[in-house]
Amino acid sequence: MPVLPKYMKLNLDRRIIFILMAIAVIFPLVFKLGLPNKVTPEVKNLFGQMESLNDTSVVLISFDFEASSFPEVQPLANAILMHCFSNNLKVIGISLLAEGTALGEKVLKENAAKYNKVYGKDYVFLGFRPQVTATILALGEDFHKVFPEDYYGGSTADLELTKNIKNYKDISLIISVTDGDIPFSWINYAVARYNKDLAVLATAVMATSFYPFLNSGQIKGLVNGLKGAAEYEILLKKPGMGARGMDAQSMAHLLIVLLVILGNIGYWMERRKK
Amino acid sequence: MECIPPVAGCSIHWMHSKTFFLDKQVLFPTLVSNLSRRMNLKGKIRSLISLLVFFVSFSSTALAAEEVRWFDPQKTGLLIGIFITIVLVFGFILYGKKKGSLKIRSIPGLEAMDEAVGRATEMGKPILFSSGLGKMERVATMASMNILGSVAEKIAEYNTPLIIPNYDPMVTTVAQEVVKESFSKAGHPESFKQENIYFVTQSQFGYVAAVDGIMLREKPATNLFLGTFEAESLILAETGNSIGALQIAGTDSTIQLSFFIVACDYTLIGEEFFAASGYLTKDPLVLGSIKGQDFLKLIIGILIIAGGIFSTLGYNFLINFLGK
Amino acid sequence: MRRQIPIVVCFVFGIFMLAQFFVSHPLLTRGYQNVLDWMQIIFVFALLVGALSFLILHLDKISKQQKEWGYNLVALAGLAAMVFLGFFKGIQKDSPFLWVFDNLQVPMQSTMFSLLAFFVASAAYRGFRARNFQSVVLLVAGVLIILGRVPLGEMLHSKIPESATWILNVPSMAARRGILIGIGLGSIATSLRIIVGIERTYLGKG
Repeated sequence: MPVLPKYMKLNLDRRIIFILMAIAVIFPLVFKLGLPNKVTPEVKNLFGQMESLNDTSVVLISFDFEASSFPEVQPLANAILMHCFSNNLKVIGISLLAEGTALGEKVLKENAAKYNKVYGKDYVFLGFRPQVTATILALGEDFHKVFPEDYYGGSTADLELTKNIKNYKDISLIISVTDGDIPFSWINYAVARYNKDLAVLATAVMATSFYPFLNSGQIKGLVNGLKGAAEYEILLKKPGMGARGMDAQSMAHLLIVLLVILGNIGYWMERRKK
Repeated sequence: MECIPPVAGCSIHWMHSKTFFLDKQVLFPTLVSNLSRRMNLKGKIRSLISLLVFFVSFSSTALAAEEVRWFDPQKTGLLIGIFITIVLVFGFILYGKKKGSLKIRSIPGLEAMDEAVGRATEMGKPILFSSGLGKMERVATMASMNILGSVAEKIAEYNTPLIIPNYDPMVTTVAQEVVKESFSKAGHPESFKQENIYFVTQSQFGYVAAVDGIMLREKPATNLFLGTFEAESLILAETGNSIGALQIAGTDSTIQLSFFIVACDYTLIGEEFFAASGYLTKDPLVLGSIKGQDFLKLIIGILIIAGGIFSTLGYNFLINFLGK
Repeated sequence: MRRQIPIVVCFVFGIFMLAQFFVSHPLLTRGYQNVLDWMQIIFVFALLVGALSFLILHLDKISKQQKEWGYNLVALAGLAAMVFLGFFKGIQKDSPFLWVFDNLQVPMQSTMFSLLAFFVASAAYRGFRARNFQSVVLLVAGVLIILGRVPLGEMLHSKIPESATWILNVPSMAARRGILIGIGLGSIATSLRIIVGIERTYLGKG
């Protein structure tokens, strides 16, 4: 029997794997590959639903993410905000995680500026409220009690966009841009209790958790990580960070498959040797 | 009644009504003290029902003048489901109490708990327990604390260090209390070290960085990841794997389960995690409720099959009813 | 009594929350709104408890000069710096607080998150081994999904994304729903045990 080369041993040093992964991710970010992407039905559905809203519709976007996942959720947030503003939808931004506040405000403002939207009339940012469950439930009862002021201290009763919002009945769609499991709370309380439509834009590692709720109709749309962002960008005809990220993700996935094959070759050779 | 519905402070207003004071002074303390007394389960349930009836009757008299919509018919299916659940769970709790001992199938992850504690003791290394990112109101966190109680008792017997870094301050306080009580129960209150159970941060990956750091510095022999975990599950479990710790995990997140299965030695899947406290303590009441859970599962299985057959044949009454 | 009061409180609020979901009585609705307010208030106090716990832990370690106490000092310095910047310089755009957040916290935390890619690769390398028939099925399904979820899969063969979607929507979904039902029932049974006081370890008064 041939002696196994070191790289085919079962316990390949994980540092080698890490270096290979770093190369697989960095290379496509430096040298653009431009791999073609195909739009999935769940993204198409959300896009269609957004298209069906009109310029009086109010969309509540909850930036339920932390700083850690910002590189992955930023393309998701950008895509949905571009769609909202290009279709003249009214946007109310909130955050159920403290760290999502500054980042949520940043993406909201940046995108609003691109479309020359007016604060208070076309969009508002209300900031962070602690205690996810209580906030989601309370928004269904009395919007102004939860957010008497916006992020900048202005009264929500005076802002043109928010003065007539009483509860979920005045919101057309809730969108949770997330890196965690906060959409479960939106499903349990805003969807189940107040019968409100919800769309979820989640990081890839969390998105799979929400597919059962998409199939059961409890979620109206699901955009899955960078791939979803890239698909949304295709529908918007505005390729951006999502499309670029997909090249890197493709290479990373390819590397994982190669590692799995390598691991199995090593495993089988060792088994035959024994 | 002078109470005006939209005023938030009116709840204080009606509390000053004569009726309430009469009831409050006579009936309420009696019912509560009945509940607090050491009486059997049947007596307790009877007192609880009386207390409930008290609240309902009081509230209806207090606001009799207002137009009341007692029940939303859209929730009929759900109400029936909850009623069946309550009846089955409590039925089996009473059955468990009567029978004294109930058998449930072996759960390898929980069987390995003794091995996990023993291993750490032999190696002279600590045990790391993490309840993940859950807040105290989450059932998974409560289940995690219930398991912690049983595990901490075992740990106290062996006098092994137990480290619990927490994501939530409230969970920290509860974990400290639970472990303190378990150490006292095991007869080793002096071994309890409050400084080993502490709050780290409420930032997901800040927490991961801290726990990973603890693992790399303290090199625990056993890692117990029991609670709510999100994207960080694999990072924690892989770091634990890299230091050669024996790892037992359990979570209510279906997706993170797959990561734990790959990187941990034992994983509590689905309801196994919630059954753990009963399994470890052998409490017949808890085991009874787990039996009730199994019967509910059977009913759901039958409903799924029936629903599938009926809707394939074009009859949607079952789906329509359950959808309510 | 120290043991009974929390159980009674837990029972009353448990039943109340259940009842108010079904009954639209104004009294219950108002009580429910009050409960929601209190939940938020209590949460803020819990944060204070957390900050105090954090301070005490690190100060204790520094004062005793325990092993690697320099890290505790860094943690406390970080806390003090952010509190100072937040209170005295504000948290508005272009403030030092936001600068630290954008340029230190975001990259540091993103780095932690990105570790996931590295760990997924090493876990896949270790975990996907064709040991028996079941693991071969797992391996094939895994590889199809890994490839099918990126444009590369479509480039290799048009059936790969379709197969990945089928695996996710049919067998994987069925398994997940089964586990979810188990988790749901487990949660309900645990909640009921907690509400009636059978399960009380979480109170620390087993």
